[in-house]
Amino acid sequence: MSNKGIHIEMLQKRYGSGDTAVDALKRIDMQVDPGEVIGLIGPSGSGKSTLLKCLGAVIEPTAGRMTLGGQVIYDNGWKVNDLRALRRDRIGFIFQAPYLIPFLDVTDNVALLPMLAGQSNSEARAKARDLLKALDVDHRARAMPSHLSGGEQQRVAIARGLVNRPPVILADEPTAPLDSERALAVIRILNDMADKFETAIIVVTHDEKIIPTFKRIYHIRDGVTHEEAGEGRGFR
Amino acid sequence: MISLAGRDIMHAWGKFVFTGLGLGLLIGVTLSMAGIYRGMVDDARALLDNSGADLWVVQKDTLGPYAEPSSIYDDVWRSIRGIQGVIRTANVTYLTMQVRQGERDVRAMITGITAGDPGTPGWPPYLIAGRHITRSHYEAVVDIATGFRIGDRFQIRRNHYTVVGLTRRMVSSSGDPIIFIPLKDARDAQFLKDNDAILQQHRRTTETLAFKPAGVLDAVLASQNANSYVNALLVQVEPGYRIEETAETIRRWKRLTVHTRTQMEEILVGKLIATSAKQIGMFLVILSIVSSAIVAFIIYTLTLGKIREIAVLKLIGTRNRTIAGMIMQQAIALGSIGFVVGKISATLLMAPIFPKYVLLEPLDSIRGFIVVIVICVLSSIFAIRAALKVDPAEAIGG
Amino acid sequence: MRLHLRTQTLALLAGIPLLLALFVYVSLRSGPLAPIPVTMSTVENRSIAPALFGIGTVEAQYTYRIGPTIAGRIKRLTVNVGDHVKAGQILGEMDPVDLDERIRSQDAAIRRTEAQLSEAEARLIYASTQTRRYEKLMAANSVSEEIAVGKKHELQLAEAGLNVAKGELARVRSDREALNAQRNNLNLIAPVNGLVAERSADPGTTVVAGQAVVELIDPRTLWVNVRFDQINAQGLKADLPAQIVLRSRMGQALGGRVLRVEPLADMVTEEMLAKVIFDQLPEPLPPVGELAEVTIDLPRLPPAPAILNAAIHRIDGKLGVWQVHNKKLQFIPVELGITDMEGNIQIRSGLKAGDSVVVYSAKPLNLKSRIRIVNSIPEKTR
Repeated sequence: MSNKGIHIEMLQKRYGSGDTAVDALKRIDMQVDPGEVIGLIGPSGSGKSTLLKCLGAVIEPTAGRMTLGGQVIYDNGWKVNDLRALRRDRIGFIFQAPYLIPFLDVTDNVALLPMLAGQSNSEARAKARDLLKALDVDHRARAMPSHLSGGEQQRVAIARGLVNRPPVILADEPTAPLDSERALAVIRILNDMADKFETAIIVVTHDEKIIPTFKRIYHIRDGVTHEEAGEGRGFR
Repeated sequence: MISLAGRDIMHAWGKFVFTGLGLGLLIGVTLSMAGIYRGMVDDARALLDNSGADLWVVQKDTLGPYAEPSSIYDDVWRSIRGIQGVIRTANVTYLTMQVRQGERDVRAMITGITAGDPGTPGWPPYLIAGRHITRSHYEAVVDIATGFRIGDRFQIRRNHYTVVGLTRRMVSSSGDPIIFIPLKDARDAQFLKDNDAILQQHRRTTETLAFKPAGVLDAVLASQNANSYVNALLVQVEPGYRIEETAETIRRWKRLTVHTRTQMEEILVGKLIATSAKQIGMFLVILSIVSSAIVAFIIYTLTLGKIREIAVLKLIGTRNRTIAGMIMQQAIALGSIGFVVGKISATLLMAPIFPKYVLLEPLDSIRGFIVVIVICVLSSIFAIRAALKVDPAEAIGG
Repeated sequence: MRLHLRTQTLALLAGIPLLLALFVYVSLRSGPLAPIPVTMSTVENRSIAPALFGIGTVEAQYTYRIGPTIAGRIKRLTVNVGDHVKAGQILGEMDPVDLDERIRSQDAAIRRTEAQLSEAEARLIYASTQTRRYEKLMAANSVSEEIAVGKKHELQLAEAGLNVAKGELARVRSDREALNAQRNNLNLIAPVNGLVAERSADPGTTVVAGQAVVELIDPRTLWVNVRFDQINAQGLKADLPAQIVLRSRMGQALGGRVLRVEPLADMVTEEMLAKVIFDQLPEPLPPVGELAEVTIDLPRLPPAPAILNAAIHRIDGKLGVWQVHNKKLQFIPVELGITDMEGNIQIRSGLKAGDSVVVYSAKPLNLKSRIRIVNSIPEKTR
């Protein structure tokens, strides 16, 4: 069991208290290794979103232990102080919609994170350009997000998720608005990136088109995770 | 680090510029309002400056000649001229009336000035065209705001006057342009009745039996038409003499009321235009409140429109300070655009169309700018609070 | 799309400095910080013709008030206002009332007095005859001396009586002549050729002695009684040429000259009085009492530096002009000379011909004022 990647043990999340308490997450156990892309599947109300929020360090679990990229961020009530810096440096987010900042051009959308982390503008932009090139959208580097196609936007969003080289990427329905060809292209990119940057990637999805591509899948039902092997089908 | 506020403004510049323009017009109105007040004060000061006097000798116990009616004998100057320290004296009359020129008439203050050389107290201190009065009758130097031009003829009571000189910023304390005419004519205009009244008075006098003896009647009629009053005496004090001491001497020995420049200003600014000033002050306060409400509303709306982006920014690790800074910078930028537009519009568009003088003082502008910025900063607080309340989790759907 | 974005950005980037430039321009070019527009003029050596300006009324030099010498009633009046009359013309007549009766009674009194005179003469002749007879008788001692003396006394009484009668006759005759004179004086006669200016009573009116019935003026002697402000009356003297503008005939200047300057000035109005006569009387004649503006031309002065009076200012009690040196304002005190009606004023000292001075300014100037020299100050500035 590597201490890099994502490691979650007995994670619980309870909303409210007393009689009205709701246990959104009852028992979550997960292990995602660096370079691995896994799927997280579950019906609505299963606790999928809550788990994602816990993973994204925007809400606090009630119990259990969580390690991201080798750093313990939560351990039964203890948590790291600066969740913001943690999100900035250790977690990459890719959303269902790209949520690019509309008033920044493609390069700056990507370069914003390193800038927030204190890197110089030129350094951050160089990084962004490299990534955009790797994702094959460098020809739109100066365009505004509103002028990009859906696929291009999603690729820029992926670049943003990757730019700080986070050990963990959380992708929330990244392929929902895309047709199957583009959806598969996104998954391929994610796999490539996971390989390239040794990143652990969790893809939350219920997109039938891409589920077969995962080697490993976590099902979540009533706040409990069930691990199963995926088809791991190639997508070329 | 790039300027998020700047990028946002550049991105939504149309919305921003038009909002700034709207705010600018509002600020322009506010600045004009302050300008109107300053203009009123300046009108009062100009009236005092232009008369060139150190002391105003007026009827005892009056606040004349501007704030209250005053009349003193026209030969008072002889005794006052003899007082030590007095170097120049000049009688003066003031009368506000409608002055006719052909079809139109214009409201103006008729000022009667003593004959003499340029620089005599009461004379217009500078001209913008034409010349000073040289004839002792029926010539006039007028303020440009009357609309007269050189060579125009106009009528005061029964006499026609020719415009020989133009000046500007010569206004009464209520902003009416001044028309300078020789003192004797002005006195006629002020005290001489219309022809009908004179005729009736003659008839009454003629019928009075006591005046029947030969020669008496003529003398009585002559004395009725003569008048020997002026409204005030302007006094210049010799350099080296203390103005207040000279004033005290006149008060004590001549039993007349004497106002110094400071007292005059107090009367004009403190009493004559005090109510108007308060009125404008209230207007300014209301406009400031309206402006801040508008700025707050605009910034708040702009922020709410970006709530999703703010959530994303927070999720990817932007500090609250950065987000608050972005909103505040936008508020300040909006205020600055508004101020610049306001200043330009107040100067170029609004001030010239006001009928009365609007004085836009640089210091007022600076104060106005500070107030605008403070208002913007305060107004952005609501938006900042809203932005800081945004949960980064909102970015993660569901 | 990309190009479009660029243009937008460029427009914005261009717009902001433009706005700021406008802002700076507006801040510095208007309001108190703006430079004050001034116009310049050159001092010229010129000869100026000073003039005096006064207001007067048309008056007649001589006015003849014609009325009866005794109280009485006006019988007839043959002239009306505006009539021209000749010297000696009868203008009207007083009603004699009882004058003729009084003359007849006076005639009777004369006759009576004449009778008394002849009676006295007769008495004197008798008395002198008696006296001579008694003197002879007394010489013959026929009568007493007493009687002779008595007769002599009677003669003396008779002589005195005659003298009284003579005196009385002379008195009565004089009275008769006086009545005659009055009878002849009932006619109102024009003393000169003239114009009837006023007819203050009509036939039937009783007037007192000395009251004017008809006023005659001599239109050839109309003059203008002009008042000059003492402060502006320097150089006023007789025989100077004048231009007279009547109020009813504005714009038409009539020639004239100063007849005399009154030795008494008006103390109350601080004015000097002068009489100005017309070179040629205007037709129709101006009514007496009409207002007239009179300009007296004084002799031309030798050329000297002169400027428009608008350039003169009083700063700190000193009269002077503003000059511009190296874009900075300087106040140059000057001594003023004579001014003419067009506002040109001679400079006795302080300036020389060719100097440039500030004439007009849009605001009062001081030593620190920033200025901008312009050709003319726009009339539309407020």
